[in-house]
Parts: sequence; C-alpha cells; structure tokens
Amino acid sequence: MSHAYDGRSIDLEKALVRYMVERRISRRQLLDRIAKLGAAAALGPVIAACTGGASQAPSSGPSAAPSTEPTTAGPTPVPEPEKELFVYNWTGYIGEDTIPAFEAKYDVKVTYDFFSNTSEAYAKLGDDGGGYDLSFPISVDIPAFVAKGALRPLDKTLLPNIVNLGAEWADPGYDPGNTHSVPYMWWTTGVGYDTTKVTDSPTSSTALWDPRYGDHISMLDDYQECFALALIQLGYSANSTNTAELDEALALLQAQKPLVRVYSTDTVATMSGGDVWIGHIWGADLYAITTENPNVAYYIPEEGGVRGSDTMAIFSGAKHPIAAHLFINHMLDAQVSASNTNYIGYMGPNAAAKEFIEPYILEDPAVNPEEAILDKLQELLDLGQAVRDEYLSRWQVLRGGG
Amino acid sequence: MGLRDRAALLLAGPGTAWLAAFFVLPLAIIFVVSLGQRDALDRISLADPSLANYARAFDPRFLPTFLNSLRYAALTTILSLAIGYPIAYWISRHGGRRKVLLIVLVMLPFWTSYLIRTYAWMIVLRDNGVVNALLQAVGLTSEPLILLNTDFSVVLGMTYGFLPFAILPLYVSIDRLDENLVAAARDLYASGRAAFLHVTLPLTMPGVIAAALLTFIPAIGDFVTPDLLGGAETTTIAKVVQELFLQGRDWPYGAAIGFLLMVVTLAGTLLAVRTVRRELVGGGD
Repeated sequence: MSHAYDGRSIDLEKALVRYMVERRISRRQLLDRIAKLGAAAALGPVIAACTGGASQAPSSGPSAAPSTEPTTAGPTPVPEPEKELFVYNWTGYIGEDTIPAFEAKYDVKVTYDFFSNTSEAYAKLGDDGGGYDLSFPISVDIPAFVAKGALRPLDKTLLPNIVNLGAEWADPGYDPGNTHSVPYMWWTTGVGYDTTKVTDSPTSSTALWDPRYGDHISMLDDYQECFALALIQLGYSANSTNTAELDEALALLQAQKPLVRVYSTDTVATMSGGDVWIGHIWGADLYAITTENPNVAYYIPEEGGVRGSDTMAIFSGAKHPIAAHLFINHMLDAQVSASNTNYIGYMGPNAAAKEFIEPYILEDPAVNPEEAILDKLQELLDLGQAVRDEYLSRWQVLRGGG
Repeated sequence: MGLRDRAALLLAGPGTAWLAAFFVLPLAIIFVVSLGQRDALDRISLADPSLANYARAFDPRFLPTFLNSLRYAALTTILSLAIGYPIAYWISRHGGRRKVLLIVLVMLPFWTSYLIRTYAWMIVLRDNGVVNALLQAVGLTSEPLILLNTDFSVVLGMTYGFLPFAILPLYVSIDRLDENLVAAARDLYASGRAAFLHVTLPLTMPGVIAAALLTFIPAIGDFVTPDLLGGAETTTIAKVVQELFLQGRDWPYGAAIGFLLMVVTLAGTLLAVRTVRRELVGGGD
C-alpha cells in the first residue's frame, strides 16, 4: 500500500511538472522546494545492509562528513581553461546566447544538461558533482552541500566580475562571503490578491487574517514559508530558532486557520478558479497566475518578506575547475546577466546588469520589488535538524487541527 | 514429496516471487529504515537501531489526522459499496449481451491518468466551476457554494476513484450467483426484500468483503486525492508521512509512521474478514 502511494506521488510529481511546463509556469514550483537534499542517496546504506553485500559503508558512521577538503589544484592555477566544461542547470534557465558566447570567447566546449526538479538533480550530482563541473543548487541547500564536502571553494581571483553583485549579496546567510557559491537568480514570497474581490489595496500580511475573506484565503503548503510569514508579522526573524517565538507564530497561524480555504503551492489553480481571493504565493508564479486571471496583483508585505535564490557552485569532483570559474565569471558579466534575466524573467543579483534589463521586467514589482522593500527581505536558511523538528512538529499541530 | 506437491510448489513459485519482490521486500526496507536515525547530513544511519521512532509516532498530535484518514476511508468504502452494488447487480442481471461492454465502461476512466481526472474534479467543483455555474444559471444559488477543499470534495473524489475497484469483485460474485436459488426463495414465499437479504446478499458476501478491502486499503493511504481536492481541514496521515520524508528529511520517522499505518490496516482488515466470515459461516475454517 505504501508502495502504491509512493509510486503515485512520483507520478504526481512528473505530471505536475508537465502540467506546470504546459502552463508556462517557470520551473520553480512546489516540488522543487519540497524535494530536498539527498532523497535517493539516503537509501544507499539501507540497501547495502539489506542485501548483505558491501561491508558496512564507511560513510554511515556518526560523523560522516568527509574531512578531505577538495584539493586546491596546485599553486595558483593559470587562467588557461580546460577545453571542456560540464554544466547542469534547470530547464530553460539561461539566456539563449550565453553559452555560445562563452564557448566562442574561451574556446571551451560546453556540455549543457538540464533538470526539472531538485530531487532528480541532487541524486545525479551526488557528493562530488557526478561528472558535472558546475551546477545551480538552491541557496538553502548550500550549507548541506558544503558540510558533505561536495563543493569546491571558489577562487575569487578568477572571478573579477564578482564586484558586479549588489551589496546585499556580499554576505548571504546560507554562504557567508560567497565562499562556495555565487548567487544566480532570486525571487520573493508575498501576497497575491484578486483586485475584483479585495478592493482596498492591502499592504500588510495581516490582510491574510481578514475575516471578510474567510474561506477564500490560501497559504503556501510549506512549513518554513508559513512560519516565516507569521514570524515576520510578529516582528521576529524569519529564521527564528526561539521556541517561544515559534509558539507565538503557531498561535497566530492557528487563529488564521478557520479562515483558510487551503494550504497549497498550486496557487495558479487556486487563484484562477475563484476559490482564493487572497493568497500567500511565490512571486515567480504571478506571471502564470495572471495568464489565467489577469486581475491578480502582488505585493510584498510592508512588514517584510522572504527572498529565495539559486546559486552557481563548482563541485569537488570538477575536472575543469578553471573553465568552471571562467563560466561563473562570464555569468557575472553585466550584459550576460542582463540577457539571462531578459530571457528567464527573473531578477539576478547583478547590480551592474540593471541598465541592460528590459523595462517591463524592472517595472514588475513581483520580479523587481522597490528598493525600500529590498532591505526587508530575508532569505530562509536551513536551520538544522533540531530546529527543523521544532518547526515541523508545530506545523503538524497546525495542520492536524485538534 | 509427491509429484502433485512438486507441481504445486512449481506453480506457487511465480506468485511467491512476485509477492516477495513487490510486497515483502519494500515492506522490509521500510521496516529497516524505521529502526534507524538520521545522521548529521540527513542520511539514514543504522548504526544504533531502536524502536525510538515508533515511540515518537504515538504522539497525540497525529490523532486527529489519523482519524481524518480513517473517516475518509470508511465513508469511501460505504459509499462505494452502496453505489457499486446496484451497478454490479444491474450489469449482471440486466446487462444481457452488453455485459462485457458495460464492464469495460466501468474500467474506462483508468485509461486516463488519475491525476488528470482529479484535476478535472477541481474544475468541476471550484467556485467558478461547472457545478456552481449551473446552480447559479438555474437560479438555485446566488453565491458560489464552497464545494472544493472540503470533506465533501475529498470523499467524492476518493469514491469516484475507488468505485471501479468495488464494482468488479461485486460483479463477479453477483454474476456467479445461481439465479435458481433466488427463484426458489421467491417460490417459498420470500418477499423480494427477504430473498435479497437472506439469499443474494449472504451468497455475494465474499464479493462485498473483497470490494470493501479493495476500496478501504488504498483509501486510507491515499495521498493524491486529499492533497488536490482537500482543504485546510482535511489533512491525512499520508500527507504527514510525505512531509516527514520530503520537508522534514526524516526518513526513519516517516517510515515508522508508514509502517504503523500498514500494520494497523492489516490487523483491522484481518479482524474484519474473520468477523464477517464467522457470522456468515458460523465458525472459522
């Protein structure tokens, strides 16, 4: 039976991805977020134990993190790139000319593969890149990749264009100092509302608690996003680890629950069917929502919001590290970054790229929020097992009712 | 060992192998995982096996969720039997030459992915959906009724999904029933109702039991329907397991809850089958 629904949920995942692609939803969606690190790899030791083969896997010891730092490849490498580069990225997540331009400039042949969800990608990347030099992990997963020694520390001398990053990206919480990763694209979480039903242009997240919209409010089906929204409304950090604050956030969410129609990440369906008038949504989905329901507007709560991002990182098993560094440097170029943004429709962290970005993207508050709110955005962090359990147990209390 | 025994063993081989590969092995893996812990990198560690995850699984916060699952599965089973029995009966008794065609029609929905069909229900039930548009066009309602994201939509979707699993075994047992027995009861002055209650229903009880099992068991573990058609108040235990695996990255804990659910379902099923059989046959076999 469990076997049956495991299979189903995989079908579900595939079908949803297909559904999203058909609806031209950008590839970022629920499954990318919920499918986190190490899903497939995690079963390894168990299968080994069951089959009785492969004497106890050394990696399953208590302190499994391999202490072998990736070798820094000899003394300061000469920036003469290798002839090849293996890149693994999201489907449709790069400008059309970006790779040909790189190949022409450095005479490197790029093998470019793509994935459509992180479970697939992370299983393939494994602990060293699985043959790929460079990939695009979600920022929250960077600490876990670093902990298992999967990433190669970046050589900043090969990344002169890193100065193009906006100041707010100099020291991200998931990777202080950008030692193992460079941000690529980012998005926000906020509130979407149907202007025909919610007519007073709300600006605060408390609108999601407004009884006038009872039975027509949705929240994201994601414990960290929901708690972050409540914590920010209460004036705490989106990544609070204080259990008393978490209890307060739980109480706030419990008070809201009777008004909530559904906890769902499929906001395109809920906001286009008339069921939800005001919902907690990922800004990146707004475009897809408005193709179905043009009356939906978006704002980041004035109390603050959540920012998410994808990164570029070089893996410890990279055989072409110099080419990989040059590639990242190429991506950091203002014009290249702008052409990526113009193609994908996401903002990058590249301050110098702004002048080359199409006006309709710059003017879209869902993609490019106004400066005043940028300082109020917090990136969600991987808070570690113990804190995650604190969140999840409260989430189960909230969702289970009782 | 006689030739017959050997032939029997040989014939049982494929079935046994199938069961071992697709039932026992996955179950064993889930059980082994449930004894482990997460290591620092969220991988499964079996270094120190224990039943600790089972102790954690008996947390009162899961009770409302479990009761939800139980309620949905029970309602789905009852509705599937109540709707399925007359359909199966009608096909068997009045289907005539078209019996096969009618049975194929019952199975027809399987030609489309369950997910697509569930999405179709969303379009039917949502506030701007087909049902609400009809009700408002006819003038029965002025505001949309809230149908989607409710207990109603979950049970509707599950009953819709599992109904064919009920109809098929019911059809087989009703079709096998010797009509002469019913005719004999009527000859002996049984009313139609009495003949049904004392002859038809008891003799088709194996089909009823099979139908109940085939709907209840998948229904209690169903993840897709409550997830898509459900709402804020319809959390099920399958959803909790899914969250523990993916969002919590705690496979051993999720495996323990999954395994417990399976044990509870299996025990309940066996108990139900025994009770029904005893009432029918008056003692075990």
